[in-house]
Amino acid sequence: MTNTMRQIKNLAKLELCNLYGINVFRFTKQQGKKRKYACLFVLWCLLLAMTAFYLGNLSYGLIVLGLEEVVPAYLLMISSTMIFVFGMLKAGSMIFRREGYDVLCALPLPKGVIAVARLFRMYVENGLLTLAVLLPGIAVYAWNARKGVGAAFYVIIVLDIFAAPLIPMSAAVLAGAIVTGISSRMRHKSLAASGLSVLMVLAILYGTSRMAALEGNLDAEMLRDLSAMVMGMLEKIYPPAVWLGIAAVRGDLWMGLFGIFVSVAVFAAVSAGVVLCFANICEHLSGSFATHRYQLGELKAGSVAEALIRREFRRYFSSSVYVTNTVIGPVMGCIFAGTVFVMGADAVEQLLPAGLNTEMLIPFVLAGAFCMMTTTAVSVSMEGKNWWLVKSLPLSVKQVLDAKIGMNLLLILPFYAVSEVLLMFALKPDGRELLWLALVPLVMIVFSCVYGITVNLHFPVLQWENEVSVVKQSASSMLGGLGGFVAAILCALGAVKAGSAYSDLYNGGICAGIVILTAGLYWSNNRFDLCGKIG
Amino acid sequence: MLKIEHLTKHYKGSKKGITDLSLHIAPGDLYAFIGHNGAGKTTTLKCVTGIQDFDAGSIQICGIDLTKDPVLCKQQFAYIPDNPDIYEYLTGIQYLNFTADVFKIGAAKRAERIRTYGDLFEITASLGDLISSYSHGMKQKLALLAALVHEPRLLILDEPFVGLDPKASVLLKDVMRGICAKGGAIFFSTHVLDVAEKLCNKVAIIKDGALVTAGDMETVLKQGQSLESVFMEVAGDDKYDAAN
Repeated sequence: MTNTMRQIKNLAKLELCNLYGINVFRFTKQQGKKRKYACLFVLWCLLLAMTAFYLGNLSYGLIVLGLEEVVPAYLLMISSTMIFVFGMLKAGSMIFRREGYDVLCALPLPKGVIAVARLFRMYVENGLLTLAVLLPGIAVYAWNARKGVGAAFYVIIVLDIFAAPLIPMSAAVLAGAIVTGISSRMRHKSLAASGLSVLMVLAILYGTSRMAALEGNLDAEMLRDLSAMVMGMLEKIYPPAVWLGIAAVRGDLWMGLFGIFVSVAVFAAVSAGVVLCFANICEHLSGSFATHRYQLGELKAGSVAEALIRREFRRYFSSSVYVTNTVIGPVMGCIFAGTVFVMGADAVEQLLPAGLNTEMLIPFVLAGAFCMMTTTAVSVSMEGKNWWLVKSLPLSVKQVLDAKIGMNLLLILPFYAVSEVLLMFALKPDGRELLWLALVPLVMIVFSCVYGITVNLHFPVLQWENEVSVVKQSASSMLGGLGGFVAAILCALGAVKAGSAYSDLYNGGICAGIVILTAGLYWSNNRFDLCGKIG
Repeated sequence: MLKIEHLTKHYKGSKKGITDLSLHIAPGDLYAFIGHNGAGKTTTLKCVTGIQDFDAGSIQICGIDLTKDPVLCKQQFAYIPDNPDIYEYLTGIQYLNFTADVFKIGAAKRAERIRTYGDLFEITASLGDLISSYSHGMKQKLALLAALVHEPRLLILDEPFVGLDPKASVLLKDVMRGICAKGGAIFFSTHVLDVAEKLCNKVAIIKDGALVTAGDMETVLKQGQSLESVFMEVAGDDKYDAAN
């Protein structure tokens, strides 16, 4: 083994040893911490079981429809999309993270080795994701088509699991490197990175919707062959998924090897690019603009609440991962309202199944978008090593938590106002409809902010290596961030069941119930022992 | 000023902690708190500042019970940890304004104090820069400035001289003496025994979570001994005792 390979192995081991907190769980002597990790493990298992159930059913559904040939390609498409979307928002912070960079740079190893080890960690995480997506669906496929499945199928599927993450991960790393590279040269790095990331997500959404629009122009002959149509659609969006999937189904080893070769080549090219520009980007990122030219002028005094909310906003906008992950929901809410405004309420109603009307669903859809990922769900964790400050200052629990909720509400407020105005013009609601249109999202937004705090108080992570692990991978971001969104979906399903005849009663009941629940959570949060239970 | 009675704090699954620790710090006291690594100094300071809860005992600051009214208690003191992890996403002046707002200090008073101490510690020109661009020593100075901006009656410091340049160390000692002269009190942990001996009027030595000696410096340093030799005698290990 060459020296460089040995160094890569050592660093990769360091990167992976605490993956998902395994190392802390193994060696911590705090029983409470162990219990929390055990709880988290159970939650992950539940999530995996739900995913397996969903993907198994999806595969079975495709088989029943006579689309069995599509199953592996479809699953590969799902895993690739997940890797790309999740990876794009975190790649920059993962690969070019500042934490530990100085210490590693002082060691006798080339800087490129650090980049390779970080890429390897990302690859392992994405490999596990691919495995979780592919395994249940492929198992269902193999069981149903067991007579036609030979040894070549299993060999290619195993190779697929290793190769599938490479291209979407490369695309995510490339996007992350571009965003980080550009923003690293700006004074307000985090703000620039957040803006660029949001723009990139919107561009991808627009691009994929354009691709879907092209599908509408397919000729009638192709529509008759549903399997070919789905395969055609997948090939248009992401051809490697089709190459690797078809190769497995047909036992075509050469096609499989071609797909793997393309994946490895793309990954190698992107990795080489990352290694080349790694040191440059990291140096720009760790550089700071210090002018040493400050002159003390007149100072303004403000209230404690103002000071705390201002600090929350500054914390929020200092982290591009935090911003991009939490601002997408409100932006989507505005886009949704804008779409309804442009298309008109009638056109939207035609897209819904018979019996459903926009008036019933739109308040819940809007609420779902705004509650997609609240900032409060990770706001305590984001304090990290600064948590001692909040605890040592003369602040009550209520003051600290109110500032976090206040910041989240103030952040969503402009998006909410714009969406409401657009929908008011689009739907032209009467007084009663307007009440629900405004009240339902508002009540759910407040609930999701308070609920986010509740979850984060019970699942805080104050010792973290980088913000990605808090914003994207913590139990709190999973349970707290999505809580409001899930509640909105459940309420929307309830609204469908209730029907338009009882919509006023239903909406009133839901709003009253959520207000009571929110008040209960708020009361309990403000009695939480911050010093004793956190940190 | 600070009354610690029978303080006990143990971490679950760990032997570390403090047992039945009692200390009284009076106005005007400059109190050094010394002990080897892991003896329980930082744990004590964290309990006193309300950062950590404790299993038994009581802590009173200016007559206010910490567990009964923590917010009022925290208004009486300022705390500076050994590694001042302060909000790196703020500029120095933003951090100082934040602290002054929390302690409800008026605009004119805060400006005057920031100017006085900022100039004293030569940090005023850097207050417009992000804290992330500060060196360890500058962060230490900023934390000190934030502590002094509300003129606390009690200043609690954990290893305050680590990372400070020689000039700042001298200035800090002067500031500490000044606070005590005005009737305030200082309680700080340190490994620099020489500084503790010359600067403080009282000292406490902690070993394995228990107080081994405490009181006036003159009483502790009996028969012209140095603090170093007293420390090695009461808190040193057996190997040292055998060698001497």
